[in-house]
Amino acid sequence: MTFFTIVFRGLIRRPVRTGLTLLGISIGIAAVVALVGMAWGYEKSIGRQLDVIGIDMVVSNMSGGLLPKVFDESLQGRVAAFPHVAEVTPTLMLMLSVEEAPLIMVSGREWGSFTWKMLRVLDGRIPKDATERAVVLGRLAAEGLGKKVGDTVQIEAEELQVVGIVDGQAVVENGAIILALPLLQEVTGNEGKVNFLNIRLTKDTTKPEVARLRDQIKEIFPEGRALEASEVVGTSQGFRIARAMSWSTALLAIIVGVLGVMNTMLMTVFERTHEIGILLAVGWKRQRIIWMVLCESALLGLLGGITGVALGAAGLKILESTTTMRGLLEPDLSPKLLLTSIAIAVVVGVISGLYPGWRSSRLSPSRALQA
Amino acid sequence: MAQDSTPSGALVYEARGLKKIFDGGSVAALRGVDFQVWEGEFVAIVGPSGCGKSTLLQLLGSLDRPSEGSLTYRGQSLADLRDPSAYRAAEIGFVFQAFHLLPTFTVAENVQIPMFEGPLSRGERVARARELLHEVGLEHRLDHFPSELSGGERQRVAIARSLANNPSVLLADEPTGNLDSENAAHIVELLLQLHRDRHTTLILVTHDLTIAALAARTLRMKDGRIVHSPPDPVAA
Repeated sequence: MTFFTIVFRGLIRRPVRTGLTLLGISIGIAAVVALVGMAWGYEKSIGRQLDVIGIDMVVSNMSGGLLPKVFDESLQGRVAAFPHVAEVTPTLMLMLSVEEAPLIMVSGREWGSFTWKMLRVLDGRIPKDATERAVVLGRLAAEGLGKKVGDTVQIEAEELQVVGIVDGQAVVENGAIILALPLLQEVTGNEGKVNFLNIRLTKDTTKPEVARLRDQIKEIFPEGRALEASEVVGTSQGFRIARAMSWSTALLAIIVGVLGVMNTMLMTVFERTHEIGILLAVGWKRQRIIWMVLCESALLGLLGGITGVALGAAGLKILESTTTMRGLLEPDLSPKLLLTSIAIAVVVGVISGLYPGWRSSRLSPSRALQA
Repeated sequence: MAQDSTPSGALVYEARGLKKIFDGGSVAALRGVDFQVWEGEFVAIVGPSGCGKSTLLQLLGSLDRPSEGSLTYRGQSLADLRDPSAYRAAEIGFVFQAFHLLPTFTVAENVQIPMFEGPLSRGERVARARELLHEVGLEHRLDHFPSELSGGERQRVAIARSLANNPSVLLADEPTGNLDSENAAHIVELLLQLHRDRHTTLILVTHDLTIAALAARTLRMKDGRIVHSPPDPVAA
């Protein structure tokens, strides 16, 4: 028998209560994994999308929420005139309800720009020109909508033909409906409006030159921001809100977890007053009693963390495969997130055990024996 | 017949004007107790219920602190101990009337519990528990739980546990109180044998005057005081 045998026995003596507490922690940790995993995954996906397309800078007005506010597309010509700008292409990206999908990314791209060239055609073709009233679907969007080449897809009031299925090498691309910019502007009533300018820089552009370019863009577009691709996700207000919301909800789950474990451990200490009295009578130090209670609550946290991570990961996988979310989610179930979640659960356990541990160490041995 | 306990001359316990007050002064369990106990002695403490016998034993085991007066163990004040649990772990073996075994641990595991405060490795703890249970005649019950044992067997496990860290003092509080006469006789015999073989100082609280008669010295208590104490064997 080791010390941990004693700790383990302490937990299994009330299996139903321990099980319910474990379930409580598991649900909390599952919420952490699911929410933070979604937020991280979406951020990663956007970053990868920019990388795949080869965008160096993005100009937008990010104050509008998850997707930026629209602005006049005439800005494109003025930005293109600045030094070190190799190419500028405008995009209008909208989250729209399309047929059965409550929300799907619809991306209107300047015809012939480099943003089209990164798409690999899996089936069908790319629209012939900017005037063809047609779309291509990212492969996940096609799957989610249940569409194939030759079908039509209704965007707002317009029926558009699906002429191709493409692989965009990033979940945001694969989950999107892609069409020519003027067509999307027309269909959604955004004529002459875009919400992104995607910039490719000349190869030799230095950091100070990038900084100068940002200043120049700021001068002609004060309400907007020019961000390097790597900064887009980190500085987006929408992502910040999503991140804050996911962590806030996770924090709430953690607080509930702490209270649940603390309640269990306090009950355990009250119930085991007599047993603690015996341990003190046979010479156990108070520190060992505290350590025992802390180890029990930490073990509760660890087990809850492991099951919570499994629950959260399974939940995300199920969510990812639903029609509603297919193509929109690429959850980040990295070891970093999973280990962080388990570590949070253990910390929850330890924190929850501090007060019960302290209470148990204050017991008078003679009174505890009479309990 | 009284045991021939042969005190070595070393003073183990000395109490002077020892008092213990409970509930903010409304209950005086000990009202000024003076006595000495010498190394290797077998001392019985007798008296009616509520006379303060068990309270006295708890003070000797440092399970509680005196309210007034002094109580020393080998010259060291028990009230001033920085770590009473270290004193209990190293010096004291307790045997209680209600056995106080841990129900979710086996017999062998119960005996190992006090050893966690000692230097023994896991293997050594197992071997020592086996050896002690052999000594009390329960080597065939190692993997049983306390609920599977008779009262006499449970008390023997408690005695084996009390010896886990090789204490120099055994404090037994009504060890036969929950046993039938046959089992009680076996337990008393076992305690006496351990006292003799290990030269352990044995202080035993009992109602039973026939058991008390086996001790070298019997302290009679009434209303929180020692009302009769035979001559101190060393001082005499």
